[in-house]
Amino acid sequence: MTIKKTLILHGAIIIGLLVLTGVFAVRDVGNLSASSRYMEIQERLNSSFLEMRLSEKNYFLFKDDLAIDDILVMVQAAGETLDSLNQDMVRAIGLQKYQDLRLALGQYRQQVERIATGKSRDEASENILREAGRRLMEVSNRLTEDERTKIGALITKTKQGMLASFLLILILAVFFTPLIYRRILASLNKVSQLAMDISEGRFRKIDGPVSSDELGAVIRAMNTMSEQLRLREDELVQSRKLNSLGILTAGVAHEITNPLNNISMIAQTYEAVYDILPREERIGFMRKVTAECERIQAIVINLLDFAKPKVASFLCGDVNDVVRRTLQLVRNMLDVSNIEVVLDLAEGLPCVRMDEHQICQVFVNIITNAIQAMSPGQTLAIRTKPAPGYEGVVIDFQDTGKGIPPEILSNIFDPFFSTKGVDGTGLGLSVSYGIIKNHLGTITAQSEVNKGTTFEIVLPAAKPMEDDDE
Amino acid sequence: MSKPTVMVIDDEKIVGDMSKYHLEAAGFEVETFIDPAKALERFKEKHFDVVVTDLKMKNIDGMEVLKVVKQASPRTQVIMITAFAHLNTAIEALRGQVFDFFPKPFKIKDFVASVSRALESVPPAA
Repeated sequence: MTIKKTLILHGAIIIGLLVLTGVFAVRDVGNLSASSRYMEIQERLNSSFLEMRLSEKNYFLFKDDLAIDDILVMVQAAGETLDSLNQDMVRAIGLQKYQDLRLALGQYRQQVERIATGKSRDEASENILREAGRRLMEVSNRLTEDERTKIGALITKTKQGMLASFLLILILAVFFTPLIYRRILASLNKVSQLAMDISEGRFRKIDGPVSSDELGAVIRAMNTMSEQLRLREDELVQSRKLNSLGILTAGVAHEITNPLNNISMIAQTYEAVYDILPREERIGFMRKVTAECERIQAIVINLLDFAKPKVASFLCGDVNDVVRRTLQLVRNMLDVSNIEVVLDLAEGLPCVRMDEHQICQVFVNIITNAIQAMSPGQTLAIRTKPAPGYEGVVIDFQDTGKGIPPEILSNIFDPFFSTKGVDGTGLGLSVSYGIIKNHLGTITAQSEVNKGTTFEIVLPAAKPMEDDDE
Repeated sequence: MSKPTVMVIDDEKIVGDMSKYHLEAAGFEVETFIDPAKALERFKEKHFDVVVTDLKMKNIDGMEVLKVVKQASPRTQVIMITAFAHLNTAIEALRGQVFDFFPKPFKIKDFVASVSRALESVPPAA
């Protein structure tokens, strides 16, 4: 079920319960109000009946005919009250009880009239009157008592209903609301963790089953985005590599042209002096040609190796070896730019789990930037040392170039950020950052304008498990 | 009459060796250097009629060599060789200052002929 539907259902249940509670409360209050009105009528009737019985007593004690007349007046008034409130009373106590009361009053009236007309004033008639009066009081009292019980029950029922509704709403609020929010928050937490990882260059995916709600859709979209970003990063790595290749080309052309020129000059000289050369010297000439060919071959192999797209393969390796190999690759660039490299490589460094080609590419990027930032005759210092506790290796590239202004130093790892105009893609350091992050390492830069820039890379040491195959 | 003197500076040893052979065969006195700093030191000691220098070298490049040579001896002709054949703007900038320009790889015959022409065009001493 979607979060929207869950929240709507949850809200609807609570509102429904509140409405039901309200409806029952209004109904019960209506019933109580009707009962209370009836009780007033009943109290009036009761006191009227009591007065009749008092007059009846006066008649029996003093044989006072006036008392009988009083009773008749009161019976008449009570009868009229019953008639006028007929509907209210039937609604309050029901037809049967109303008729019972009506009947008791009718019988009492009948008996009073008999005595009043003098038809029967004997002791038997008087007993019947006394009995009818007693019955009338009994019926009336019973009705009062019934109504009291009914009101008590109604109050109890209303209380219970209100309490039950309150408890239901409380259970929903206390148990189900947190359940819904916990579900939403758990998914949000996953999403925010993934977003954090992506922002730091770790393009992973959320594994496991994904819910079918809105957050599930967000997770699926972010998984796709993460995968796309990973693919794009691979493309960036390759495009940056090709860009570095472009920068290297000038140096490479120089590097290849020199041995080519040597071969050409040897061949021309060989041709000119062939007839006068002794056998040993001819062989000497040809060996020089072979050596120059090998020079060209080594350059071409290096170049092809650098340009070829590769699937990252993480193996334990020596950072110093990668530094030396990188220097071979950029040696000519350094030479033609007249940049001196000072190497300070610590011995006995811990083994680092890395993709040597990718790390080499990072080093090429940093050295290329350093060369471009420096003037001929300046120095690039490359140092390696163990990280504190031998938990990794620190590689420093310290140039003495023009430096990076502090206001842009924080942007240098951003994709497409370049200070070189058309000569830079702005991808080199961003790709380098991605590669180092992928190696769980860090890359930072410190710079001072006109003094130089230092890039520090820290790569974690391989865990003993990783290089222990026994 | 002493032989005309030629200095060849290139960090590729073979260029110096092969040039030396052909230039000497053409009747020049040749000294070769793979380190431009040492070459300039030598230039202070001895007059050379023609200096052949590579453009891109370690420490000191061909432009610097040109500047020093022309300052010390305006009559000395400079021939530039380079593996950077695409440096057209640099080459253009050098027109008028250098006698000739050879992108590598070049024909030794043309190169020797150029050195000979350079010698012929050396302006007479004041």
